[in-house]
Parts: sequence; structure tokens; C-alpha cells
Amino acid sequence: MKGYKKYYLTKIGWYLVTLLVALVLNFILPRMMPGNPVDAIAQSAIAPGMEQTAVEKVLADYRAKFGLDKPLYVQFFNFVFNALRGDFGISLSNYPRPISDLLKACVGWTIALQLPAIIVGWILGNVLGAVAAYIKGVFDKVILPLFMFLGNFPAFGMATVLLYIFAVYLKIAPTGGGYGYDLLPSFSWTFFKSLLAHYQLPFWSMVLITIGGQAIGMRSMSIYELNADYVKYSRFLGIKDRKIVGYVFRNAMLPQITGLAMSLGTMIGGNIVAETIFNYPGIGSTMLKAIGNRDYPLISASTLVITIMVLIANLAVEILYGLIDPRIKAAQQDT
Amino acid sequence: MGKIMLDVKDLKTKYVTRFKEDVYAVDGVSLQIEEGKSLGIAGESGCGKSTLALSLMGYYFAPLHYMSGSIEVDGRNISNMTPDQVRKSILGTEIAYIPQAAMNALNPTQKIIRFLEDVIHAHDPKVSKKDIYDMAKERFEILGLPESVLQKHAVELSGGMKQRTVIAISTILSPKVLIADEPSSALDVTSQKMVIKMMRDLMEKGFIKSMIFITHELPLLYNVTDDIMVMYAGQIVEKGTAKEMVFDSLHPYTYGLMGSIIVPEAGTRDVKLTAIPGTPPNLKRPPAGCRFADRCKYATPECKAFAPAMKDIGGGRAYRCSMSLEQLKEVYGRD
Amino acid sequence: MKNTINQAFHSPKFVFGFVIFAIMLCLAILVPAFSKADPLAMQAAACYRPGTYFSIADAIEAKKYNLKMDIKSHRFDKTLTQEDKDSMVEWLVKFGNVEESEIPADAEEFVVFWINNYKDIKIKGLTNAKKQYYRKLTAKLSAMLKTSDIVIAGEDPDTGELIEENKIEFNSFTNVNDVTVRKTFLLGTDNFGRDEFIELCHAVGTSLKMGLLAGTIATIIGLILGLLSGYLGGIVDDIIVFITNLFTVIPSFVLIILISFSVDQSARGVLLVGIIIGATSWTWTTRSVRSQVISLRNRDHVNMSKLSGHSLIRIVFEDILPYIASYVVMAFILQISSAILAEAQLSMLGLGPATTKVATLGLMMNWAMSAQTPLAGQWWAFLPVIVSIALVAFSLNLMNTGLDQVFNPQLRD
Repeated sequence: MKGYKKYYLTKIGWYLVTLLVALVLNFILPRMMPGNPVDAIAQSAIAPGMEQTAVEKVLADYRAKFGLDKPLYVQFFNFVFNALRGDFGISLSNYPRPISDLLKACVGWTIALQLPAIIVGWILGNVLGAVAAYIKGVFDKVILPLFMFLGNFPAFGMATVLLYIFAVYLKIAPTGGGYGYDLLPSFSWTFFKSLLAHYQLPFWSMVLITIGGQAIGMRSMSIYELNADYVKYSRFLGIKDRKIVGYVFRNAMLPQITGLAMSLGTMIGGNIVAETIFNYPGIGSTMLKAIGNRDYPLISASTLVITIMVLIANLAVEILYGLIDPRIKAAQQDT
Repeated sequence: MGKIMLDVKDLKTKYVTRFKEDVYAVDGVSLQIEEGKSLGIAGESGCGKSTLALSLMGYYFAPLHYMSGSIEVDGRNISNMTPDQVRKSILGTEIAYIPQAAMNALNPTQKIIRFLEDVIHAHDPKVSKKDIYDMAKERFEILGLPESVLQKHAVELSGGMKQRTVIAISTILSPKVLIADEPSSALDVTSQKMVIKMMRDLMEKGFIKSMIFITHELPLLYNVTDDIMVMYAGQIVEKGTAKEMVFDSLHPYTYGLMGSIIVPEAGTRDVKLTAIPGTPPNLKRPPAGCRFADRCKYATPECKAFAPAMKDIGGGRAYRCSMSLEQLKEVYGRD
Repeated sequence: MKNTINQAFHSPKFVFGFVIFAIMLCLAILVPAFSKADPLAMQAAACYRPGTYFSIADAIEAKKYNLKMDIKSHRFDKTLTQEDKDSMVEWLVKFGNVEESEIPADAEEFVVFWINNYKDIKIKGLTNAKKQYYRKLTAKLSAMLKTSDIVIAGEDPDTGELIEENKIEFNSFTNVNDVTVRKTFLLGTDNFGRDEFIELCHAVGTSLKMGLLAGTIATIIGLILGLLSGYLGGIVDDIIVFITNLFTVIPSFVLIILISFSVDQSARGVLLVGIIIGATSWTWTTRSVRSQVISLRNRDHVNMSKLSGHSLIRIVFEDILPYIASYVVMAFILQISSAILAEAQLSMLGLGPATTKVATLGLMMNWAMSAQTPLAGQWWAFLPVIVSIALVAFSLNLMNTGLDQVFNPQLRD
């Protein structure tokens, strides 16, 4: 148990450092670039033909409002302090709604969509990879290559294709949104049905593109494990093949968990763009609008929230991995 | 004369390679082991001794294929059984196996006790987990393994401990024949001695009724087994008691393997095998004449044309060479 | 080197990927080479579907032929869908007081029967849209029943009177080849009226160039960091590993968005986007190079070189780089494909190259989406773009897998 505690504390500590670096980057990157975003925003408040002193005053006002008149390190501590409290300032395009309000409304949608989609895609991919390695035949020669091809579609591309086929051509799915535009969120059956109908296309487009990549990894890991010595030994002790296949797939799956952790960032990023195709009320659509409106604080806050989501997901995967792979425990005891 | 535990007659098996070529790795092997006896099989790597170990169990899966011959275990013919019958009623209970690379023979992510449960349930699903635990604990303690090993994963055990655990698992069902394929080769001298002592204990305490010990170090067998067979290119070339084989080698190959110095101290590595020049024949196309003729310094043109049969000279002693005992004495005397 | 390439071409996966990639590359090189015109020139008024367009004015003047064929039933066969027929039968049975058995089967007779029985009356239980649909359908069908000649008239410039200039008989045809002014849009036009196919070929080329740039930058950074980290070890290794781990977890997607947004819009061209993507995606290469260098570092030939007093640069170039070249090439291939994807995603969010002068795959997708072409059913505006992105990525990944199997024989099965 002592080994585990150390493992987790190290992991959590490491992720906290990563979060700090992410905060720094989020803060510093836009400020390193030529041109001051606040000045650009202030330009919109400056009427043509304004006197120079008035212009200066408007600029100074805006700078003070965004805290730009203070030294950089003070600005940074304010930024971190506020961010930790969930205060990201006021949205420019939705003035005067606080950004935290806007994000609160959409983060849930994104998590509810992406978490199941990534997990289902990962599971289906692993099943396909395992089956392709063990049964071979049509799974290995037809279905796996097909999903390999689909796996190379960008998430938004798959989303567009599904949107066109099912919503526009076959007309059996809604074209976008999180629920029917004529409904209000409630705990009714009608609302739930509408929710589910709107969930299908974004969900499946994310699942479909995830399967291929996971399946290839699982297939080669399974082939590697099927040739492992313990398979032969277990067989010669009279253990049934079905049971041995269970060992093999469990072991082949473990590196797949680490693989998932490595690719989470890319996956979540791609899926967020796919959300915009369906106008799904998640972070993707919020960010798209923010970019369109040049709502700088909202973009900055959105990227920070995405980073935090990815960090938490990664940490969760690593903790899970530590629990199910005894090799981690063994490695901890050695040191 | 004791009861015959294993009776193998003219066993032939082959490997089918990736390119659909046949490799005749076991080409007409006959052997017998009585209750309470142990047999050593020695030969260079690639001579087919590991394949023989696998072939003796009557459980074949690609790329190994059964061709002809019979295997009787305690009077039961297993060569006409279905694979599932062999798996259920022979493997583990009648014949058990200790693999060459015991380091990797255990599933790294499974607890030892879970694996033992699987082994026992493969033959009798009705045994309760508690009974298995009690039985395993008792057996492990008799064999000098701490109870705590049961709750560990293979990765948490040291090399020697892993090897001994594998031996304990293999013999948990008290098999009639134990086939050990190089059980000690990868270990340091101390662990090697412990393993050999453990194998002797198993025999003395009646956990196994007979044993086949396969190694590439012929001198090692002297203190371990009662009888020794030497294998070359898929065939047995000489057999006899351990003492006869070591001090009075008949076949030129055995003679060459022993070299001139004999320090038959169990477990010592002082004895370096004198290298016999040349390489074994290609078993995809075995030569028509004596298989050793190309490397034999006493070979005559006839040796390359006619394959000699096993010559039984009484007392369980036999050798495969066209030369008579007197001729052999004479040529060895000359050196 | 030659041997390695030879080996790679024995891997079916590599060959298949290479062929797809070569086809895409050929299109991206040859099409722009043969069509000198501006790929972004607007040639049509809107988003038109693929096909050959010819001038109607020309067709009127073109040579006429008489073909003996039953034009009317051909028209009905081509235009009257089963869906239409079903709803017509439904109307007749429900509101027209007709038995289903009375309805004729022959297409032309059926249409005549319909015209005779259909009445545009107020009926309860029919939505407005449905009523509208029957009205339009009837008008279309009656027009098709007509067999009179069509008269082309010109306006007298003085009096404004219409004068017959040409008459087209009911059964006249013209050979498509006789119409001189024609334009074929293989993949239709986009919402700006540009030739989608030509634009797509240019876009594939631009995206590949951008991917190549990003891939090169990422590979160079990754190679240098990986070499330093793996070869020097110690504190340098610790620092580089720490930074690499950081940027593996912090999504490069987020960094790219932040940087792209902060860059002055006027400066954000294809080149800069490529640089931004390359500068944020070196972590894979670093990891892979580092682990390879560590396994090489203590090999005999490297130690020999060290003992012989060779300089660091010489050891790296002579004793290390040749051994890790295959991994670097593989990582480079993956970098190109992920850079193309990254650009596409960035453009979808409106942060791609801020240009209207060149097309990239991402920009084409962005234009197609902002014109809502999927909702309008204009598949040719987005589907070829998506498939091109997928094919480029697929071919690069296949080549990578093929190479992986050549260099790591235990992966073969």
C-alpha cells in the first residue's frame, strides 16, 4: 500500500505542476504576441473622430478593466487566483454575462458527449482488434481495414458525412443542436427522447473514428501476447483455450490504456471541432462563436477548461492503470 | 521392475513452417520410464529435445503436428485421444510440464493463487477456492515456498523464486510423469542447486512418480537422473544408466559431448562442452545415411549411405552406430 | 539504404499506402500544371452540382436530329418517382373516389388519369405543404404531356414586337458534341462558384506542402531534443523528458489555438500555420528518438568511436543517426499526416490561414460548412474534401505501418 500511495502522490504532484505550466502558457502566449488584444477590443468602443485624449482615456479604461495596468506578475497571480475560483471575467460577445456562466452551460454537454463516445470507441476498438488477432478471417481482412480507413477521417469530417447521410439525405436524424428547438429542458419523456435523438450522430461520428486506431494497437498487442510463453505453459497445464484468451486480452489491453492516455488530447481536440458541425451546445460551438466574435477572454477560458479536462482525464487513466496493472505496484516496491 | 509410467513407441512429429515446409523434429523416438525413475535427455540446441518434450504430452497445436507412434501413460494410450480429452484428463494430472523459460511462464498480471485455481478448475470445476488455497498452502510449505507467494503476482517474484513456483504449480496435481525442459539453465548456481534439490524432493515425497529432465548439459544429468538418453537430429543415438553414459560413452556423439575431462559434480559449470565441429543436418531434408556422419571423425563412406539402427546391447543399453563395441573401444583408445 | 527501400516495397501495406499517396500527389502536381487558370476564379454563380454544362443558346442553334422514340413515356419514367406515384394513388383513393383497381398501370395513361381526376379543392386532413406538393406535381405533369413545338422568339429592337426566330420541334434532338460551348465540372462548383475539382487539387498540394513544412520543423526539433536527451543523459535528459511529458499531456490543439489566435490575423498565412503546428507537435519524435538513442548509446560501435576520440558531432552523424534514421522517417510521415489534420481542424474553427488567395483542405471545408452545404444537400462541396483528407492520412499511416513491420520484424504475423 505504501508503494501505491507514493505512486499516486507523485502522479498528482506531477499533474499539478503540469496545470501550473498550462496556466502560465495560457496567460503568457497571447501576451507574447505583437499587438495587445485589449487594445484591439477597445478599438470597437472608440468612435471615429474621437479626440486623442478621449481615445487614450478609453484605452486606459479598458486596460484597467482587464488589469493590464499592473505589473505582469501581479496580472498573472490575479489570473491564476481568479481562474481557481472559476472567475474568468466577462464575455465580450455576450456582454455582460460572466464567462464562467457560459462555460458552465456547455462543459456538461461536452463531457456527456465525449466521455461515453471515447470509452465506447475504445472498447469497440479493443474488441475488434482482439477478434481480428484471434479469429482472423473476415475481421482481419475486411472489417479491420475498413475501420482503419474510417479512423483516418477527421472527427469533423465523419460528423459531416453522418450529418449529410442521416439528417439531410435519409431525414431520420435531427440536423443539429442538443435537443429540439421547440422544447425546454425538463425531466419529461419527450425531452429525453429529443435529447437522445440529437445525441446519436455526434456520438457515433466520434465512436466510428476512434475504433480503427485502437483496433490496430490491440491487434498487434494481442498477437504479441498470444505468442507469449505463459500461453504455452497454461495450455500444457490443461487450461481451456477460452480462459487463456482471457489472460491474453487482459494483458494486451493494459498498454492500450496507456495508449489512450497518450492520445486523449488529440482525440478531445478533434471531437470538440466535430461538435461544431452539429451545433452541439458544448465547448466546441462556444469556442467557434467566440473565435468568430473575437471574444478573446472567452477563447482563453475555453482553452484552459479544455486543458483541465484533458489533464483530469489523463490523471484518471493513470490512476486506473496503476490499480489494474500489478507491474506498477511491483516497480514501486523495488524503489 | 517397477510399473511402467510412460511408454513411447516410435513417435514421429513435425513442425510446419510459415512457408509450408515440414521439419521432422522428432523422428521415431521410443522410450520407457518406470515408476520412481528419472530419465535425462541431453543434446545440442536444435536437436529436437524441446520438441520431444512437447510431443510427449500428446497435445498438439500448430505449428507442431503428430504423425505416428504411440504414447501410453500408466497403461492408457493417449495418442488416440481427442485434444480435449488429453487436455482434461492427461495434462497436469498425468503428465505435467515445466517450460524452458520459466521466467516468462507465468502470466505477469495474475496472482499465483488465481492461476492455481484456474489450473485445478480446468480438471475439476467443483473444488472450492478455500480447498484450493489450503491445498496449495500445504504443498508450497512442504516444498519450502512461503505462503505469501500465493498472493503475489509473477512480477513480484525473483528469478529463482519464479522457477520454483512454476515447478510447484506444475506438480500441484501430483502427476505421474513430470517433463522438465531445461528447468535450471537460466539460473545462477545457487538457484540451480535449489531447483534440482526440489525436483528430488518431489520424487521422494511421491508428488511425482517419474521424471524426464531435458538439458543441453550432459554432465549435469549425472547426479540428477537414473538414466540418460542422448538425442541428435531428431533421433535417440544412445541410452543407458547415468553412470554408463558419462563414464563409458559408446556413440561418437556422446563421446564428443563429454569431451575428455569428466567432473560429474551436480550443478557445476566447470565442465565446458567440447565443441564438436560442424552443424547438425537440416531436418527439412534429413540425410539418407547416419545423421552424425558429416561431423563424425570416425565416419566411413558407408556411414553416409546407410542409416544405422539402434543396437540393443542388453541391460537397457543401446546405441545407434554402425561400429561394433570393439571397433569403438579401439578408435577411442587411439585418441 | 537502397536495400531498406527495396524491403519497404515488399510490404503490401507500404505499397498500398504508397500507391494512394502517389495518386493524390500526382493529382496535386499534374492538375495545377495543366490548368494554368486561377484555381480560385469564380466560374459559376453558386454551388452547382457536378456534370457537364452547355450553353442553351448554343443548343438552340445546334444541328437538329430526329430520333424515333416515345419521348413522353421516357419523360414520365425519368421524372415520376415511386414516391410520387404512391402519393398520387393515395390521393386518388382517399379523396378522388376512385377504386385502386381502376388506376391504370401504364405511366402515360396514369398521368392522364391523374390530370382528369385531380381537383385542387379544399380538403381537410391535408397539410398545406402536401397541398402545395400536389399542385406543383400536377403542373409539372401537365407540362410534360404537351407535344407542341417550342417557338424561340426575338424582340424587334425598334417595335418591341416578338418575331419568331427558331422553332424546336417536339421530337428534335441535338448531339451533345454539336454544342460548342461546354464546361465540365467534375466535382461541381463550390459556393463561390469555383471549380471544385481544380480547387481541391490545389488544396491537396498546399496542404501537403504545409504538412511537409510542419513535419520537417517538428522532426528537426524532436530529433535535436531526442538526441541531446538520449545521448547526454543526466540533468539534460531529465529536463527534456520533463518538458516532453508536459507537452504530451497539454494538448497541442489548445496551444495551436492560443498561438493562432494571438498572431496578427494579416500575418497568419499557410506558412505561419505550418510553423505553428510544427513547433507544437514534436513530442512523439523526441520520445521515439530518445528511446532509440538510449538503446544505441552503449553499443560497441558507439563505444569504439568514443574511445577513438571522435567528436560528438561525428559520433552522432556516423554512429547514431544512420541507426535511428528509420524511426525518424516513420515519425516524420506521421507528423505530416497529423499536421494536415491539425490545419483542417484549425481552419474549421476559423483560425486557419487567413487568406483568400490559396485553398487548403481545411479552408475548403470551412467554406463549405459556412455555406451550410451539407444541409442544402450539396455533397460535392464537402465530401471530396473529407475523403481527400482521409485518403492522404490513410496512405501516410499505411506507409508508416508498412515501414514499422519492415523495421520491427516481431510485429509481422
